[in-house]
Amino acid sequence: MTKKIYKDNELAGLRTGGIIKQKQKDYFILRTRIPGGHLKADLLKKYSTIAKKYGRDYVHVSTRQGIEIPWIHIKNIPKLLKDLKKLNILKGACGPRSRNLIACPGMSVCRFGFVDTEQLAGKLDSVAFGKEVPKKFKVAITGCLNSCAKPQENDLGFQAQGEPEVDLSKCIGCTLCAKVCEKVCLRGKRKPAIIMDENKRPIYRKKNCFFEGDCIRVCPVNAWKTKMVGFAVYIGGKVGRFPKFGVKIADFVKESQIPKIIRNTIRCYNRIAKKGERFGEALERQDLEKIKEEIL
Amino acid sequence: MNRIKGNQYINLKGVPCPLNFVKTKLKLETMGTGEVLEVELDDGEPITNVTASVKEEGHQILKVEKADEYWKLLIKKQ
Repeated sequence: MTKKIYKDNELAGLRTGGIIKQKQKDYFILRTRIPGGHLKADLLKKYSTIAKKYGRDYVHVSTRQGIEIPWIHIKNIPKLLKDLKKLNILKGACGPRSRNLIACPGMSVCRFGFVDTEQLAGKLDSVAFGKEVPKKFKVAITGCLNSCAKPQENDLGFQAQGEPEVDLSKCIGCTLCAKVCEKVCLRGKRKPAIIMDENKRPIYRKKNCFFEGDCIRVCPVNAWKTKMVGFAVYIGGKVGRFPKFGVKIADFVKESQIPKIIRNTIRCYNRIAKKGERFGEALERQDLEKIKEEIL
Repeated sequence: MNRIKGNQYINLKGVPCPLNFVKTKLKLETMGTGEVLEVELDDGEPITNVTASVKEEGHQILKVEKADEYWKLLIKKQ
């Protein structure tokens, strides 16, 4: 039996496919990806099979909605890769490439969500995942202002927003919309977007609105409805050693524009960043207005 | 004034979320379709949360009314 199966450059090639060297000699971690965190129960069983067969009977659930299986011995890697293909388990990314696209549960189950973020993440996987970049590139999609998928902490983040409108003929004057609105706007340090007139009719002031939809949810007679759904776009967020919040560059971007925005942002990142630099760091040297034009 | 009277009544003043909603839901389950439940709730989260949740459960809300320091909710069971 030969002692060394892979040369260093071959191992580097493996890294792109989500096989990461463990600190222990000859052991590797398999990193997989689950776009949007949506995992069929049948596929979950297959993960179990792999962890039992190649690992040590456990998995690590990553912060990026992937499942990692540690303790893969170097000699088993070729066989493992064949099994993954057969089982349709998607490999994750490491090194200077874009990462798994994450999402919150979205509107299919969440009362706050404006968009089916899980499904959208699945559709965008081919656009956002595994692209060559200077350091790494993370995309997140979240269904509402609550930001569960943390769009502001990713290199590119999409946050769904809903513009409300009221049908005064249905309104019963209960004032609950103004009540929930005042609460949101107080926390967001704005004047309320909904105030009641002297006849207990709501007046909507769009410029103060956070588009979180609390008025729509609370309205007992569905007088408040969603007029328009779109996405706020954040760029340049990161955590890591030196965290930085993303900046908002647009409101109410249409879902159909998202693939183009992802492609433009990756291209822009490759253009402006030095090797090893994150998008947010490179953005510090740029004119944000010009970057907006390039991306949107 | 056309005052709507509830067939049933529960006082949930001082009952916190989400217990106030659970109690409302359990009460509604004992009632027949079309019957009206009158609920008294605290100001703040209780009134907004219970209203939203009752609506999500598919019941019809007939009236939401502020009375002194608490709220009255009239729910028609669906």
